[in-house]
Amino acid sequence: MLDLLWLVPAIPFASAFVLAVFGPRMRSKAVAVLGAGAIAVPAVLMLLIAAAFVSAPPAGGAYTQVLWTWIGVGSFRPAIAFYLDALSLVMVVVVTFVSFLIHVYSTEFMRGDEGYSRFFAYMNLFVASMVTLLLADNLLLLYLGWEGVGLCSYLLIGFWYQDPVNGLAGRKAFIVTRVGDTAMAVGLFLLFHSLGTLRIQDLLHTASDQWQIGSPYAVAAAALLLGGAVGKSAQLPLQTWLPDAMAGPTPTSALIHAATMVTAGVYLIARTHGLYELAPQVQLAVAVTGAATLLMAGCSALTQNDIKRVLAYSTISQIGYMFFALGVGAWGAAIFHFMTHAFFKALLFLAAGVVIEALHHEHNIFRMGGLRKELPAAFWTFLIGGCALAGLPLITAGYYSKDLILWSAANSTAGTAGLWVAGIAGVVLTSLYTFRLIFVVFFGQPATPVSHRPGPAMMIPAFVLAFLSITAGFATTPFAAFMAKALPELHEGGMGMSEVINSTVAGLAFLAGLLVAWYAYLSNPALGRAAATSRVGRVLHRFWFSDWGMDWFYDRLFVWPVVWSAKANKADIVDSIYTGLTRLAALCHRYFSLTETGRLRWYAAWIAGGSAFAVAIAMFL
Amino acid sequence: MNVTGSDFTALLPLIILAVTAIVVMVGAAIRRSHALSASLTLIGLAISIGSLWIAAPLLPRQVTPLLMMDHYAVFYIGLIAASSIITVLLAYGYFEKYEGSHDELYILILVATLGSAVLVASSHFVSLFLGLELLSVSLYAMIAYPRRRPLPLEAGIKYLVLAAVSAAFLLFGMALVYGAFGTMEFGEIAARLARPDFNLWLVLPGTALIITGFGFKLALAPFHLWTPDVYEGAPAPVSAYIATVSKGAMFALLLRYFYQTGSHELEPLHLVFSIIAIASMFGGNILALLQNNVKRILAYSSIAHLGYLLVAFQASGDLAPTAVAFYLVAYFVTTFGAFGVVTVLSDGTRDADLIEDYRGLFWRRPAIAAIFTAMLFSLAGIPVTAGFIGKFYVVAAGASAAMWSLVVILVVTSAIGLFYYLRIVVALYSQSTQTPATTSLARPGVVSLIFLSAALIYLGLFPSPLLALIHRLMPGLI
Repeated sequence: MLDLLWLVPAIPFASAFVLAVFGPRMRSKAVAVLGAGAIAVPAVLMLLIAAAFVSAPPAGGAYTQVLWTWIGVGSFRPAIAFYLDALSLVMVVVVTFVSFLIHVYSTEFMRGDEGYSRFFAYMNLFVASMVTLLLADNLLLLYLGWEGVGLCSYLLIGFWYQDPVNGLAGRKAFIVTRVGDTAMAVGLFLLFHSLGTLRIQDLLHTASDQWQIGSPYAVAAAALLLGGAVGKSAQLPLQTWLPDAMAGPTPTSALIHAATMVTAGVYLIARTHGLYELAPQVQLAVAVTGAATLLMAGCSALTQNDIKRVLAYSTISQIGYMFFALGVGAWGAAIFHFMTHAFFKALLFLAAGVVIEALHHEHNIFRMGGLRKELPAAFWTFLIGGCALAGLPLITAGYYSKDLILWSAANSTAGTAGLWVAGIAGVVLTSLYTFRLIFVVFFGQPATPVSHRPGPAMMIPAFVLAFLSITAGFATTPFAAFMAKALPELHEGGMGMSEVINSTVAGLAFLAGLLVAWYAYLSNPALGRAAATSRVGRVLHRFWFSDWGMDWFYDRLFVWPVVWSAKANKADIVDSIYTGLTRLAALCHRYFSLTETGRLRWYAAWIAGGSAFAVAIAMFL
Repeated sequence: MNVTGSDFTALLPLIILAVTAIVVMVGAAIRRSHALSASLTLIGLAISIGSLWIAAPLLPRQVTPLLMMDHYAVFYIGLIAASSIITVLLAYGYFEKYEGSHDELYILILVATLGSAVLVASSHFVSLFLGLELLSVSLYAMIAYPRRRPLPLEAGIKYLVLAAVSAAFLLFGMALVYGAFGTMEFGEIAARLARPDFNLWLVLPGTALIITGFGFKLALAPFHLWTPDVYEGAPAPVSAYIATVSKGAMFALLLRYFYQTGSHELEPLHLVFSIIAIASMFGGNILALLQNNVKRILAYSSIAHLGYLLVAFQASGDLAPTAVAFYLVAYFVTTFGAFGVVTVLSDGTRDADLIEDYRGLFWRRPAIAAIFTAMLFSLAGIPVTAGFIGKFYVVAAGASAAMWSLVVILVVTSAIGLFYYLRIVVALYSQSTQTPATTSLARPGVVSLIFLSAALIYLGLFPSPLLALIHRLMPGLI
């Protein structure tokens, strides 16, 4: 069974190719069947592979499939090879399964769009790239997948390219993540230069043999990879692209910008965990980044009016939790939260897509309201997703995964009380903005009439995800045991807080957020408005609404100076060197061409002359 | 000198080529039929390739002092015969539109292929010259085959005169080397060269003159001036043949002669080779820059490519024969693909060789335009194509021999070269007012184009099987 692994990326890749070439001429039904089918087969295949992997674990807990060596010179022999262990297995199973559900949803959501086949071509290419990224056995192949998902993200954000705003958002996402990718590429060069291999497992072994804990090489490599991770996963300070990325179609937001691609940074850090253990200061930076991001994005989510932007900030904040977990050494907990988050956040986006489509593409939550009765299926699924996000104690998956992270922060040698408090504050914020969203959208008075109701292709995936958003949490213990095969376990120590206290505090934090939201947006809406219009409230609102002024700041720090210097230096001085070179080449071309006379005697003379020249050099030099 | 049965078996691929030429000739005398001649030729070439497997177990084998049948020769004979198959497929569709008689062309192709096969197997000046002339004389007639058109005729005569001139230099060079050593066998020359008691003042000018003769055939600067005129004038399939088989066989011979005799270790020749390589890389790429004729661009590009190959040749070491062999395969595939596009788009009256003919081709014939794009990318050495891997190994060979100046020039001139390849690509995709084409293209040509593009991508993605094959065969060289 395991040797069919290569099919998992190959099938969606082939289907993306077919859709790109023949899609425009195919009927939309055929496009839907091919587009979704090309994900269904790998998803089923992956479940079978997972079953085989669990029932008969391969030697060493990992299975490597080498397809071929691309080129080989010296020690540089990048192989097209896949590495399947507990970590990549879980990631790929979740990614293919959630992708499949979202593809089914898209067959209805995107119906009638003139870019129907183009959409599925991009989505299939995305899945192929994402699986390549996750299964890559070496960092070069991983980087290929990494750039592939970045490309698909760019293409899908700007999917409706006729509107220049969407194109701008796509470009912003591409350029901002490029900053991180550059850091990562430099990290790759550094690793290859100092360790002589790009195979991840060899690299981690060699690193732990050669480098002391805290050695400058390890710190630099880990920090550079972290740079790539924060770019891809929209963490501080490179998070500004994700809210704008909501310009893409909603299934894209659900799949790429919530469930899968944005967690690639988490995967990268977990995959190279050995490097971070050698560089404790960078690992601490991971934790601090996560904590700061989860708080800042939580505040921003509180102030947004656009339903998708609220969810986008929530995604940033939840990935913050994953970084937070990685930073305190709770590797398994981070991946567990990735899994539950993939379920409930995809669910929230799918339900939001139903609402948006039902209301003529209305995004503003204050022009929604009262949808509980009009769209009951969307309400219940959104409520389940929201409860999982906010962490409704004991029954939702999000509660279990977040609880584990918080407990780890308190009980890890790498954790501190400050981090734990930040995590709890994050729970209050999450609960607050989630229920604000639910109360404003689904309760109160209807503001816009419902024009369109979703069909089964849109609701069934949502039901499946709703089911998983609840039940996935009960798998905590077996999941942790399974993860321990690939990732180190938590180094216990620190404050030694008991599970009961931790869970109680987290539950109370959830309740606090819920109550405030209820009081300010449902029971006493005037109070919420008053708070937002007071002087302090207005300033804070503006500040948080604009993502802590980060875009404003970056505009002034980077964009304006670049634009200014580009304008000032329109007749580029540096460019004149290159223009000079092309002029020189053209001039040479003109003079060289003079030798092409077409005259036979001239040609013969050149042969004679050249030969005399060769003889002269051979004899006298 | 006794020739045994095993010797015949070892020579089987060459014998089959010769027999096929006679069969086609007799067939044409009985009944003129384009399809029949072409298919007989194809069958003969296929059998010749098949017979390589019969000959292989007996190798390496010195058959008479003239021919050395080893794995190295087998590899290149296979490559040459396969290329001739592609040539025949392209030529069939091309000459179908031509009003004159067709059959003689295939006899000429077979004889030229035999000459090339003799070249790559030769281990003696006599067989070298014999193979060279078999090849050249056939080429004169092939170039001028459409004899009522002025351009091919002019090209044929130019090639005839210049090839004769260069052959004179080559012969004089051989005579000097013979004068120094008293032998014409490569193995003997190597033995004498290893002892210090020879007359360097005969050997050096002799070898330099041999380089002239080789340089002409390979179109290396400064012996390159004929190339664009001949490529432009010759029918497109014949240009493809000159660019690939003729040059490939010559380069294989160059490698064998210099490596086997050890002449490449003569210090003063390094400078000669370096200057020739640099002049070819710069000259070829710069001459192509603003050229408007696609066949001339391909001619200049081939000058540059042979310059790159010379860099790998000079690197010697383990990597060089591998790099050269892989590069040649990639270059063959790509050049045939590019000329193949020109061939299938040409009509009975003139070749489609101006950039203008290709403007907006994508909107008329998307598949052909995509194939041409892939071929141009491969010539430019862009990843995922065979050309990239080829160039990668050439650069690696150069770098491992620490020939930094040559490698840097290779990279710089490749960058210059990108310009004219992309110029064609831009023309392919620019908007055109012409309506989509309705006429269908010659089927054999299209089939070979599809095969070539598949090979191009396959070699770009999975180079290892071919590399493994080369590794297995090449140690027979030295």
